[in-house]
Amino acid sequence: MLGTFRAVLLGTLAAAGLAAGTAQAETLRIAMNADIRSTDPGVNRDENTDTVVLHIVEGLVGYDEQGQPKPLLAEKIALSDDGRTYTFTLRDGVKFHNGAALTAADVVAAWKRYMTPALKWRCLSQFDGSGQTRIESVEAADPRTVVFHISAPSALFLSTMARPDCGGSGIYHADSLNADGSWNKPIGTGPYALAEWKQGRYVELKRFDGYSALSGPADGYVGDKTPKVDTARFVIIPDPAAARAALLAGDIEIVSDVSASDYKELQGNPAVTTASSPAMGISGLLLQTRDPLLKNPDLRLAIATALDIPALVDAVSEGLAEPNNSIVPLASPFYGAVEKRGFTHDPAKVKDLLAKAGYKGETIVMLANQRYKSMYDTAVLAQAMLQAAGINVDLSVMEWGAQLDKYLSGDYQMQAFAYSARLDPSLGFEAVSGDKDQQPRKVWDNADARTLLEKSMITSDGAERQTLFDQLHALFIADVPMIVTHNGVELAAFSSKVEGYRPWPAARPRLWMVGFKG
Amino acid sequence: MLRFVLQRVLLALPTLLLVSVTVFVLLRLVPGDPAALMLGDLADPQAVAALHADLGLDRTIGEQLLIWLGHVVRGDLGHSITNGLPVLPLILDRFSVSATIVVAAVVLATVIGVPAGLVAAWRQNGPLDLATVGTATLLLSIPSFWLGLLLLLLFGLELKWVPVVGYVPFAQDFWAALLYVILPVATLVLVEMGVLTRMARSSTLEVLRLDYITHARAKGLSEGRVLLRHALPTAFAPTLTLIGLILGNLLGGIAVVETVFTLPGLGRLMVDAIYARDYPVIQGCLLFTALVYVVVNLLVDLCYPLFDPRVAA
Repeated sequence: MLGTFRAVLLGTLAAAGLAAGTAQAETLRIAMNADIRSTDPGVNRDENTDTVVLHIVEGLVGYDEQGQPKPLLAEKIALSDDGRTYTFTLRDGVKFHNGAALTAADVVAAWKRYMTPALKWRCLSQFDGSGQTRIESVEAADPRTVVFHISAPSALFLSTMARPDCGGSGIYHADSLNADGSWNKPIGTGPYALAEWKQGRYVELKRFDGYSALSGPADGYVGDKTPKVDTARFVIIPDPAAARAALLAGDIEIVSDVSASDYKELQGNPAVTTASSPAMGISGLLLQTRDPLLKNPDLRLAIATALDIPALVDAVSEGLAEPNNSIVPLASPFYGAVEKRGFTHDPAKVKDLLAKAGYKGETIVMLANQRYKSMYDTAVLAQAMLQAAGINVDLSVMEWGAQLDKYLSGDYQMQAFAYSARLDPSLGFEAVSGDKDQQPRKVWDNADARTLLEKSMITSDGAERQTLFDQLHALFIADVPMIVTHNGVELAAFSSKVEGYRPWPAARPRLWMVGFKG
Repeated sequence: MLRFVLQRVLLALPTLLLVSVTVFVLLRLVPGDPAALMLGDLADPQAVAALHADLGLDRTIGEQLLIWLGHVVRGDLGHSITNGLPVLPLILDRFSVSATIVVAAVVLATVIGVPAGLVAAWRQNGPLDLATVGTATLLLSIPSFWLGLLLLLLFGLELKWVPVVGYVPFAQDFWAALLYVILPVATLVLVEMGVLTRMARSSTLEVLRLDYITHARAKGLSEGRVLLRHALPTAFAPTLTLIGLILGNLLGGIAVVETVFTLPGLGRLMVDAIYARDYPVIQGCLLFTALVYVVVNLLVDLCYPLFDPRVAA
């Protein structure tokens, strides 16, 4: 009976063209936990959207694996002596998916659209003068040269331009827009072209045969990005257990974000290859410095000292991540000897600090959520460690949206939180530092720190920036507005038939230079 | 009959209005800002404020409610905050996926569960009855996500008989579509079959004690004829009510099953919308679900006289 059923099913499979070894071989399928929001670069977006869109469009610059902006569509970049004029020379021979050659006019047109307030481009405030930089003009000096004039020197101009959440400031052909100027679909210069977006099911990309690859090895969003498969498909699988099962069943080839426990288990499976990379996200515990209790720096330091952070990180990441108390990520080239200095677990010192702070066992409420397991685990372990040290902590577990509300309004005492990857340390410090009267979400309200941060955003000199980040780190550790625990780790699992897939610190999968063995 | 239908439809209107207002107000009381969730932790306050204004979230709840109701009356459920798509086509598209699976599952569960309950009642306290009741109790006690995962692991992963993830619409490729819905349908059949079997058994037991059944047996009718001709129609009527409730419940979204089997159905749409605080989609989904309940229950009520002549009278 079972044999007959199986025969019928396999016959049906064959009829449907789905059985193993059929024409599916040239399609590389990767799990994605939710659908994309649009195909318009940096406009209506989230991380999944950025991931897909950055396979289709490319900007003038892109991040390398150390988080440094490097030329992408630009061949070279010249900066004027006053630091206010950037001249981009475009690479020769770059074509859009429709066969048209990339010109300076395309760059100018795309940037004019980005700078239109009605578009609500994610990064408009970074370039319209609301923040550090204001673009005064974008001009095509000749068909291969684009000139940007900005209001003041900025160390972050290229970094911001390359940000994935800005859609990499991707350049697209004018035919990407409908006749009325609304967005149709991206016609970019990337290694893949958009083939089909089946909402709620998958996004399919086709190899762009006319892709003009950079020389040198693949490096973040730059380097050689040659597509190795005909079709790349991002399959929407919300449930991690289903994604894992699909990988093992051969229904997909790559899961880019497996849990630490799954990673350990899959390591022993010969059909699966695992790979990891340090990430640049910032995980830890936020302490509300305006809380009547936690405004006392000695109590905040006592909390930090009561935590055995290496043990906590070891448990949360199943031994796969390294502890780091700095806003500067471990994978950053700016992570040096100074950034290594952090908090030390010292129970004896905790008692002194608590006595100095006048702590009498008052309850501290720590917020957490179960959407992000790492945050929840961090909170549970931290609570246990703090209770053991005599600090009375209650855990309040809520839905992520509710916790984010509390974060934005500053209405909390303590919470387990994680910031997404900021590839430049200035952006990391900017995420936490600011005037709480103006922005209650800011964690660290220190005028000296803000001055140092502003300097780090202006100077482009690497040594000078390193000194500034060192000073910022020392101040941050002394103030304890947040206890950074670690940067996490990107864990990927993929079919052993696949070659070339590598996770990287920006935590967004890349399907160029990835193909099937043999 | 027409008057009855019209009466029911008119009575449904205040229900739907009440659902709309309640859902609208309750959603706004739930903590979590859609703009903040959409923009994430990288957003700056200006961007959040601009998105608030763009989404109309800077207006009072009363204004937002009136605007939304005005659109609903014209058949416009608004646009998704998350991806800008119109809500009604989005719901209908996702509902077609859920409905296909749910209707197939409920029909199969009924076809298997009701006769099983009938036979169990006929053989009350015998080995067949005990086996049927035991199996039914076991099935309805198993959470659908767990059963789904087990089926997925066995038939998808171990035996590799069916694909583990994905969905193909029947209109696109019937045979491929069949493969993708076998396991979700089987999961729902197994879970709902337990409930229906127990209900059918208990209704049949009551009916078998009635005088007209004794009379039928006294006339010398065969047991098969007594059961099928006389007991089943009357015993089926309460089960029909349960089928209506199950249908309404499942058509409103089988979020857990859809998540396990990665089906782009109504339940997953609603769960994703709740996480993203996508107000128009949540409101649209819940209003649509309420409407489905009303329609399904109306249809069940209209079917009642077919099985129980007392109702028609």
